[in-house]
Amino acid sequence: MSSQSSQANDATDNALSYNNHSRITTLAEVGLSLRVFFAHYRHAPLQAGAILLGIILAVTLLIGVKSTNENAVRSYSEATELLSQRASLLITPNAGERHLDEEVYFRLRQSGISNALAIVNGLVVDPQGRRWQIQGSDLFAAINLQTTQTSSSDNKADSGNSHGNLVNPNIPIAKLLAAENILLMSQSLADKVAPNGEFFLQNPSNEQAPGIKLEVIGLDDDFGLGNAIVADISLAQKLLNQPNQLSYIALFDKPEQLISRINHADLLQQQAGITEQDQGQALQELTRSFHLNLNAMSMLAFVVGLFIAYNGVRYSLMKRQKLLVQLLQLGIQKNHLILSLISELALLVIVGSILGFILGLQLSLWLQPMVAMTLEQLYGARLMPGSWQWQWLTQAMGLTLFAGLLACLPLYRQLTNQPLARISTKVSQVGQLIRIHRIQFTIAVICLIGCALAFPFAKQYQVSLGLMGIVIIAIPLLLPLTIYKISQWLARLFPAGIWHYMIAETKELIGPLSLAMMAMLLALTANISMNTLVGSFEVTLKTWLESRLHADLYMRPSGDKILQIQDFLNDKDKVSGVYTQWTVQSKYQNMPIELVTRDLYSTQVTSSLKSQTNNLWSEFQAGNQILISEPIAIKYNLNIGDTFSIAAFEKSAVNEGQQASAPITIGGIFFDYGNPKGQVVIDQTLWQQVGLPEMPKSIAASYQGDISELEQMLVDSKLISNAQMYNQAKIKQQAITMFKQTFSITMVLNSLTLIVAAIGLFSACLMLTQARQAPLARLYALGITKGQLRLMTFVQMQLIVLLTCLVALPTGAVLGYLLINKVTLQAFGWSIAMLWDWPAYIRVVVIALSTSAIAIAIPLYWQTRKPLIKSLQQEAI
Amino acid sequence: MKPQFRHWFLAAPKVKHSSKMDPSFKVKQAVNHLWLVLLALLTLSACQQPESSSSLSMGGLLGEPSSQMDDYDSVTSGYQFSFPDDHLSHDNFRQEWWYLTANMQTQSGEKLGIQWTQFRIALAADNAQKNTEHNTDWATSQMYMSHAAITSQNHHQAAEKWSRGHPNLADVSAEPFTVKLDDWQWVSETTGLFPAKLSVATDEFSYQLSLTSDAPMQLQGDEGFSIKSADAAVASYYYSQPFIELSGTITRNGIQESVTGKAWLDREWSSQFLTKAQQGWDWFSIRLDDDSALMVFQLRGADEKTPAFYSARRMFSAGSGRNITSAQSLDDISMTPLSWQQTDNGKYPTSWQLAIASEQIDITISALNPNSNMPLSIPYWEGPISVIGSHSGDGYMELTGY
Repeated sequence: MSSQSSQANDATDNALSYNNHSRITTLAEVGLSLRVFFAHYRHAPLQAGAILLGIILAVTLLIGVKSTNENAVRSYSEATELLSQRASLLITPNAGERHLDEEVYFRLRQSGISNALAIVNGLVVDPQGRRWQIQGSDLFAAINLQTTQTSSSDNKADSGNSHGNLVNPNIPIAKLLAAENILLMSQSLADKVAPNGEFFLQNPSNEQAPGIKLEVIGLDDDFGLGNAIVADISLAQKLLNQPNQLSYIALFDKPEQLISRINHADLLQQQAGITEQDQGQALQELTRSFHLNLNAMSMLAFVVGLFIAYNGVRYSLMKRQKLLVQLLQLGIQKNHLILSLISELALLVIVGSILGFILGLQLSLWLQPMVAMTLEQLYGARLMPGSWQWQWLTQAMGLTLFAGLLACLPLYRQLTNQPLARISTKVSQVGQLIRIHRIQFTIAVICLIGCALAFPFAKQYQVSLGLMGIVIIAIPLLLPLTIYKISQWLARLFPAGIWHYMIAETKELIGPLSLAMMAMLLALTANISMNTLVGSFEVTLKTWLESRLHADLYMRPSGDKILQIQDFLNDKDKVSGVYTQWTVQSKYQNMPIELVTRDLYSTQVTSSLKSQTNNLWSEFQAGNQILISEPIAIKYNLNIGDTFSIAAFEKSAVNEGQQASAPITIGGIFFDYGNPKGQVVIDQTLWQQVGLPEMPKSIAASYQGDISELEQMLVDSKLISNAQMYNQAKIKQQAITMFKQTFSITMVLNSLTLIVAAIGLFSACLMLTQARQAPLARLYALGITKGQLRLMTFVQMQLIVLLTCLVALPTGAVLGYLLINKVTLQAFGWSIAMLWDWPAYIRVVVIALSTSAIAIAIPLYWQTRKPLIKSLQQEAI
Repeated sequence: MKPQFRHWFLAAPKVKHSSKMDPSFKVKQAVNHLWLVLLALLTLSACQQPESSSSLSMGGLLGEPSSQMDDYDSVTSGYQFSFPDDHLSHDNFRQEWWYLTANMQTQSGEKLGIQWTQFRIALAADNAQKNTEHNTDWATSQMYMSHAAITSQNHHQAAEKWSRGHPNLADVSAEPFTVKLDDWQWVSETTGLFPAKLSVATDEFSYQLSLTSDAPMQLQGDEGFSIKSADAAVASYYYSQPFIELSGTITRNGIQESVTGKAWLDREWSSQFLTKAQQGWDWFSIRLDDDSALMVFQLRGADEKTPAFYSARRMFSAGSGRNITSAQSLDDISMTPLSWQQTDNGKYPTSWQLAIASEQIDITISALNPNSNMPLSIPYWEGPISVIGSHSGDGYMELTGY
């Protein structure tokens, strides 16, 4: 038979090769095939719909997250001074000081450095005690610099997009420069905090004086103000009670020339220092793990979506098997058939990608406020208004097409290579599938073993995440054979007859359903692992906060009041302890860190140590050893006993003109959660030795009695306002809210992936049940009741889903374990105790079962409404 | 007369359309112009434009009650100038400038021109009701803009700086008399204008000039009351010092040279500008070879119906002078463009025939460098000229509204 068919093939080939217009024939044949396929899809829209749905979902999530991420990264590297352009160099206060004298600014300008912007920022308090960050700059210079840049940056094609509209008639520049009470905010913030266009603030110099009324002008969100409140420097210095002081100066010319000019003329005169801009590297450093998290989730969602699409392609090919053979029999060349199948796939990918692209941009619009909030609160990074690029569409299209072809080409070849004379290939299918499942299983096992061996050696979170990716891909490959074996085993338990038939058929169903199951499995495991991570994190955090917060009330008064408050507290009988803390910002390699010292008792009580040297506390007091937070230790692979040096230490050694007696080593590593900056704790004597500022930054007190009593006394003493005090409960609540936000976006993506998987499962079940109408009708004709049939179908499908869940739960736990003990630890530097989140496990099982239940119920319902004969005529798989 | 202000009110859109640059640059320029026009409009349009349907944004733009124009002082005849006080700024008028142009030679004989101008523009009338609460130097109702240029036969370099008014940044102060914006500074040794040092530095060029003059100030128009239209509806206070001796150094592309020459200072302030019917300006300051100086300007009408308005003054170093205006004798002054130059900012008439019958002057004016267009926030043409004919000499020319 097969020789006959190949002869027939050859004959057709010869006939065609004689044709002078072979190219036209190719087009004609491909066109004809495509027309036939189109007719087929019109007949079965569900199949085309399933493929499209998969592609759309995959591309939507990919684009949604991609544009969100790229926008964030672009925001860091192009971050500008508010309402102005990007600074090349910053003049900042001397170490340990919060302000610099505005004389420095005048000197710079008078020396001819005209592209300079004076900025003052700080916190103001409204009458309700809420704190607001205010940024004041010379708005005239800011806007001027902005327009200068617009006209000179011809090399940047898209600069018009993001900056071009800053010349805004809504900015009442005359009033602003005249120090009238006007604030600028983004429109969305203005709508939130000042719906009437009015805003009130406490008088900074006298808390009891009536509040200051300010007019609020809302600017279009495209100005990139985010949550910032902007004022002209003339007003801001007054509101912040910082006359003649600046927070920093932004310079905009070439940094090398500026530095040499500034140093040559000694323009700073020791009143300030130069900080070079790092093009957003520090922020990228800080947020890298956050973005990686998002990227990983979007790739996962993409893979899940592609599974759905692939499943749809496979299913539609199966349904068209006969059709394809018929086309071959009609004399269409194999290559041409494959070409037309590829064109069909390409067409679907293009349509799906475009739709997915549009939806994805919409999704990113929806995600961005969430990301922006997290980034702003956690890292202090401001996001610019979103933009998108056409490349993303082509990238997504290319990626989808590549993945689709990779997955489908073997199928196409296999189908077009089948013997011509055969009409139905059903016989050989099961055996072939089992062989494929075996191969998949073997690959998966090899991958898993490989990962298990590699994991102990993975030191970087990127590597760990990559390995996890392999595990995630490998686990679904285990699934089909596992389910097959389990159902084989189950078959023995069931009595002969209809139940045996059911199990036997179930085994056959595993093939067509396996891909949807794999997608579902991926989503389920991801969901479980993320839930485990977040749940464990919250518990760890709460316990840590318990030990960390030893005092009842924490205060951050303005600098000049701190000593008075200390005296005030010492006089009170019920105050059982007063603790002070000193802090300065510093840098260790690329990582921004806080250098901290407190009294020995507080340090001992509050540092929950991960590891320490034997003689830690005596060496610590001697100034030979210090404590560092876990994130620094993990990031720079530091251990107990390693030397540790930052600029602040070295400077003092030089100043005193002596060799440091012994290098400072790490005496202990303490847990520190959620702090994006590293923390280094040193003893007070060492603090003084290296000449760090003597004024404490904050003060805390323990109190025997109701803490609100003490708060009231302090407010009455007029030394401190309510907004500058935090009691323990308030801190805990704030800390937990903040930490939850780190993961909120991930959880949203996670849920989206689960929804995508549910949709995939739904479509697979729907198609399969509909395809099985013929055998079901046959069984019905043989006398099995409808109720029995329904029960049977239900049990079959739910069995498969349940088996999938059974695989998903342990693997989810394993992934959760890896996420906690490898990825999070390496990326954020937080060690977390793993916790079992049972409700999450139950939830995902319920979601899976109910989705499939609905998916089965609908075709069954359709069936009951159709005449039996029609169902009998339905083509079987 | 320094007419480039006119652009800010009326001609900016025209510039946008007429310039033949690449379109993206034009758009960016337009954005720039818009900013300036808006600033300038802040007050002027207040009395002209009724609150429209976009009253929300207009309210923000105009800021002040619509009677705001009345808050500024207006220019009237009969004002008695008093020096050195009138060298300082007049914050109750909307705009004002200190404007120096100079023709000079290097030691090798190369002819050069330099320009330095500091403009003051009020954002709001600076009346006595100033809020006493705002006792910070940052609070201001003035903004400053400075232009600097250096022109040789083949090169023309120009630069610009902006700043808000602030005693340490941009200001005009009395003891000693100082006009400054950042490091561009006119610093006198006395409370008078002279003797003074003028320093300007940019990345491309710089100059440090010593300026001296013993000649009396020349009040333009009617004792300093200079009308800008035939019906005298618009006018400014205007005085000049055409007889300034100059020496110093200039640096171009890192090469320093000594220069000597003669300079001309114009001082002018007013609150209201020009009628809408006027389109552009041509202004000339010329030192003739008989030790006299000639200031001539023409305000061109926007269409055929509006005749050009001419005004001139022939001045002598002893302090005397004669005024010639088209209001008095209609055809006394005749000005005809002889040739046009296409520059990056538009097409300008860079050569002229100028005749004043009553003064027996009939001269041909030509630019040292016809490409002396100023590609700044507001583009215009400003550069050194030389004259031949009934008299010879040199000076400066300014062309706007083309």
